[in-house]
Amino acid sequence: MLHPQLAWYVAGPLLGLCVIAVRLLFNARLGVTGGYSEIVDRVRHRSLVFDWRAWLLFGVLFGGTIFALAAGGPDFHGYGWLTRELDEVLVAPILVLSGGLIGYGAKTAGGCTSGNGLSGTAILSPASLAATATFFGTAIAINFLTRALF
Amino acid sequence: MRPRLPALAIGVVFGVALSWSGMTSPDVIRGALLFEDSYLFLFFGSAVATASIGLLLLRRAGRVTWTPQRIARRHVTGSLIFGVGWGVADACPGPIMTQIGQGIAWGVPLLAGVLLGVYAFVRRSEETEPARDPAPALARGSSVPGSA
Repeated sequence: MLHPQLAWYVAGPLLGLCVIAVRLLFNARLGVTGGYSEIVDRVRHRSLVFDWRAWLLFGVLFGGTIFALAAGGPDFHGYGWLTRELDEVLVAPILVLSGGLIGYGAKTAGGCTSGNGLSGTAILSPASLAATATFFGTAIAINFLTRALF
Repeated sequence: MRPRLPALAIGVVFGVALSWSGMTSPDVIRGALLFEDSYLFLFFGSAVATASIGLLLLRRAGRVTWTPQRIARRHVTGSLIFGVGWGVADACPGPIMTQIGQGIAWGVPLLAGVLLGVYAFVRRSEETEPARDPAPALARGSSVPGSA
């Protein structure tokens, strides 16, 4: 991380307000995976007319760009432990595979860190609480495992 | 109401918040998941608390409603698969998009993977549940209630 972090007690509530705004405006959960899903769905059916979920995802993209422009560059170089510990030739295939698990798993679970973790947990949905506990637990275990192995 | 602009605006706020909080960086995520740094948990907790309080107040005022979902097997199996990918790449779908937005080249194979994963899921659900995809009209808005 090259740039100073916004205080958590500002950044967190900001994210929470986004969840509230989506519920008020679209009567739905804020879920980033829904945006990917919408794009895949529409493109498959040869359409580029996207609903709000895709536009929210485009907004997230621009948010990253606005931040990088304001901060004078991206927030990091290389790719974390992967480019530090592994041969660079391996990193891209590993990232494609990880992305595949992220996309397939999030769709199966009906949400990712935002849909289940943030929006579902906020309304104490039992399904989202189970999903959130599972993916946090799994990701924590994987990080301890890779630290022990590499 | 045309939903594009408000959705885009909310997305921008979301993306800036994810970037500014360092969530775009895999080292920040890894540091949190190895319990070396408490920022992510405080950030995440305060986001959930804010959303929770706001939504409960709005529901009390009769402005919004929702139905909680019961736990099914897929919520756990899907999250196990998701958690492995998240744990290796130390990035989830929102931060993957902000990586792309920040111009981080390593985000491209990740993004490609996510799109392939979503595509694989959609294809597989169509094969196992052909009855649920009878017409293009339904497929176009194929968001099952409560799904991502």
